[in-house]
Amino acid sequence: MAEIYLGELEQIVLLAVLRLGEQAYAVPILDQIAEQTGRKVARGALYTALDRLETKGCLRSRVGEPLPERGGRARRYFTVTPAAIRALKASRVALMRLWNGLESIR
Amino acid sequence: MRFAEWLLGLALRNADEREMILGDLHEQASHHGTAWCWREAMAIAAHAAARHTGILDHTQTSGDFFMKTWFKDVRYAWRGLHKRPLLTLVVGGTLALGLGANAAIFNLVDRMVLRPYPLVDPDRAVLLAETGPRLEFRREAVSPANFLDWRARADTITHLAAIQWWDANLVDRGDPERLGGFMVSADFFDAIGVRPALGRGFVRDDETFGRHHVVVISDALWKRRFNGDPAIVGRSIIVDGEPHQIVGVAPPRFVFPDGSQIWAPISYDPKQPPRRDARFLTVIGRLKDGASLEDAQAQMAVLADRLARDYPDANRDHGVRVYTLTQGMIDEGTGPLLSLWQASAFVVLLIACANIANLMLARAAERRREIAVRLALGAARARIVRELLTESLLLALVAVPPALGVAWLSLHAIRVSMPANIMRFVPGFESLGPDPRLLMFTVGLAVLTACIFGLVPAVQASRSGVSEGLKEGGRTSTGRQLLRRGIVMGEIAIALPLLVAAGLGVIGTNRFLNGPQGYDPDGVLTMKLVLPNRVYHAEAAQRQFIARAIEEVGAVPGVERAALINNPPASGGNSSVRAIEIDGHPWPDPKNPPAVDNRLATADYFTVMRIPILRGRAFTSADREGSTPVVIVSESMAKKYWPGEDPVGRRLRIDTSSWITVVGVCGDIIHDWFLRRNNPSMYRPLLQTPTDYFGIVVRTAGDPSAVAGPVRQALLRVDPNQPVFEMMTMRRQLHERTIGLQYLAAIMTTFAVLALVLAAVGLYAVIAYLVAQRRHEIGLRIALGASAGDVIRLTVGQAFRLTLMGTAIGLVLSVALARVMEAALLGIATSDASVFAAFAAVLMTAALLAGYLPARRAAAIDPMIALRAE
Repeated sequence: MAEIYLGELEQIVLLAVLRLGEQAYAVPILDQIAEQTGRKVARGALYTALDRLETKGCLRSRVGEPLPERGGRARRYFTVTPAAIRALKASRVALMRLWNGLESIR
Repeated sequence: MRFAEWLLGLALRNADEREMILGDLHEQASHHGTAWCWREAMAIAAHAAARHTGILDHTQTSGDFFMKTWFKDVRYAWRGLHKRPLLTLVVGGTLALGLGANAAIFNLVDRMVLRPYPLVDPDRAVLLAETGPRLEFRREAVSPANFLDWRARADTITHLAAIQWWDANLVDRGDPERLGGFMVSADFFDAIGVRPALGRGFVRDDETFGRHHVVVISDALWKRRFNGDPAIVGRSIIVDGEPHQIVGVAPPRFVFPDGSQIWAPISYDPKQPPRRDARFLTVIGRLKDGASLEDAQAQMAVLADRLARDYPDANRDHGVRVYTLTQGMIDEGTGPLLSLWQASAFVVLLIACANIANLMLARAAERRREIAVRLALGAARARIVRELLTESLLLALVAVPPALGVAWLSLHAIRVSMPANIMRFVPGFESLGPDPRLLMFTVGLAVLTACIFGLVPAVQASRSGVSEGLKEGGRTSTGRQLLRRGIVMGEIAIALPLLVAAGLGVIGTNRFLNGPQGYDPDGVLTMKLVLPNRVYHAEAAQRQFIARAIEEVGAVPGVERAALINNPPASGGNSSVRAIEIDGHPWPDPKNPPAVDNRLATADYFTVMRIPILRGRAFTSADREGSTPVVIVSESMAKKYWPGEDPVGRRLRIDTSSWITVVGVCGDIIHDWFLRRNNPSMYRPLLQTPTDYFGIVVRTAGDPSAVAGPVRQALLRVDPNQPVFEMMTMRRQLHERTIGLQYLAAIMTTFAVLALVLAAVGLYAVIAYLVAQRRHEIGLRIALGASAGDVIRLTVGQAFRLTLMGTAIGLVLSVALARVMEAALLGIATSDASVFAAFAAVLMTAALLAGYLPARRAAAIDPMIALRAE
């Protein structure tokens, strides 16, 4: 299987999805990112990223029940695929290696 | 949320993704509100658009280089707009006004001229008109006999249907009511392509005399008068004194033509065969499949030829023209008038463009150094032009939403100020309002505008020499200043004609609305009546109604006197014109005898209206049936047909009637604004020649509207089944009758004021800019002893020269435009030199004021600071 390369935003999104577990859909994902990184990701960028991650095989989605507070529309929940988890781990390992020996930097 | 749905529907092709996003927005909208929703939707749409064009996708290596770099330009320009909020606001605001004015007028043109009727397949619906030897009526109506022959023989057009004006008097539970309706032939609904919502339309059998008492009513009438009763079909109502069966209800909003509320079939009494020489029908139809308008025209021409040969008496020199329905129905004055408005709106936009071009030139001048550096580093000139153009384009597009707002507000104002009983005669007026076509027009115009105001500055900026631009303290070259001055001069030159046109419109309108009318419109109540032919067929019955009406109305407390006239002033009734023959003055061309306005009035008419009797006498109660026929002529008629003589005692003849003696001469009045003042008219006693269609004028002691109710009651006592309509004060009548003029004046004035302000602002900006450029020089002058007065004179002089040249060119243009106005407005606008002079003075004053402000600032320059700044 080909190596999956993940950009920074993609990593952030995947990690946020992982942290949210069963309840990962766009609204809490945005909140989670804002909470944990202090970064306000543009909504459009998030949708683009989710779409691209799904195409790349990093995310899978399922559609929930239609809800009245959503104007009768369903939520789409995302889960991270094993391939994406491998890619996340790989990039973490790569970063850790690079950080090795640089602990003195503040 | 609807906006978000619409926008994302456009931006996102993938339905699943769109639903997800809309759901998310919906979920959060309750916390954040609508404005947030709009913003987010726009941002998402922008992102999606970018993604689809591959601009943001960094992983994608191939792609359209032009698009990518252009997107960069867009972002760069966007940032530029953000960085200069004042410039953006000024340009955006100016453009919003200019574009908004154009959008509003475009909507008028679109709804009233281009597609006034909500028709199925409008290009197949046609209107057929006769063409006659008299050139002044380009579209003549059709005679019933000719129509029947056409219908029997035409095979390129199906569903030929005649339409005939019908004032229907309805009696059914509650007060009698006069309804605007039309008699139509059986195929009417098929010709239009409309199916009744309830019941049926007409069939040929309905035209059979004796079985023709059936009607189709409008949706509005059904709901208003019959509470939307679902079992209405089959019910009988009394119309014009006879029971009619309701066979159908038209679909909602179908009121063709002229706001019709009720339709009945045209039927001909076999004892009275349809006439061939009286032309009063409007004929419509639908092109047969495969037949073109030209085919129909060719076939109808052959048919008309044959009818002209067969019936030379009635049809000699009569032909036929086939129009599309939209083209045929439109009032011939509407097109030119709206073109005038659209042209004016475009002139305002041009002036706005000129201002913005000047601002952009100034902005480009600021960026000279930067551009020179980039050119020096090898940037392509085309790239720089594109970048500047992108900035212009973005500015123009930003102005589109506020422009639509301006258009919406203007259209709203136009719609609410139109009286309802006039509105029904203006097809398409009710449907005024923004629609996708308007959006497209506005965006298109914005792009065009951006090209107009962006191109010159962009090319200028990129053309400047590199070394020149890089020089420290380099000043703008003279060439560019000439350009800027030329632009301002042009603005002034085109603002003046608009001012003059508006001025002429306002003066003309005011004259017709508030000027002397020849009668006294204050304290008069007017109303109209149409006596149904079936009940009041005999002249005796008409006379009796007339006499009783005067008696009953005259007895109402608060009423001083009442009179009846076939055609009251400013009432918009079809003015009846009669050919006359003057005793002792044979007309040189007996085939084309002179025609004058024909008024039939009761004895007190001149007293009620306060029209002076200049010579002879007014009517008396002795002028009735059986007595000597008499006539009173207007002063203009006396002058025209008895030049230098006293007409009293002379005789005239109408058609081939017996001789009628002139007993008096009365003052001229303005009967209708397009007839002007001195329209030859004659008045005959109504009791000698009774009619079934007339107005009642009532002179009241106090407020005329206060007696409206009692007068209506009094008339119901004369005939409880007789409705009265268009009851209003004479002042109100004048207002409604001149509504078109008032629109003209108001719209032209709006444009003119916009143009004036924009031109003044433009001049101000240029003078201020010149002052800034010459700061150093002015400082030097002051240091060398120039007084504040000298500096002000210098600067204002500069403004003055520009204004003077602009005004001179403008005057020439104004004279040309005034000619057009005079032709288009039937002489309302009479251009006299004082109007031109007055508006030239207004423009010069405004311009000089605009020049004075920067001049004062120039005079206040501290030479020490100015010189040190070098």
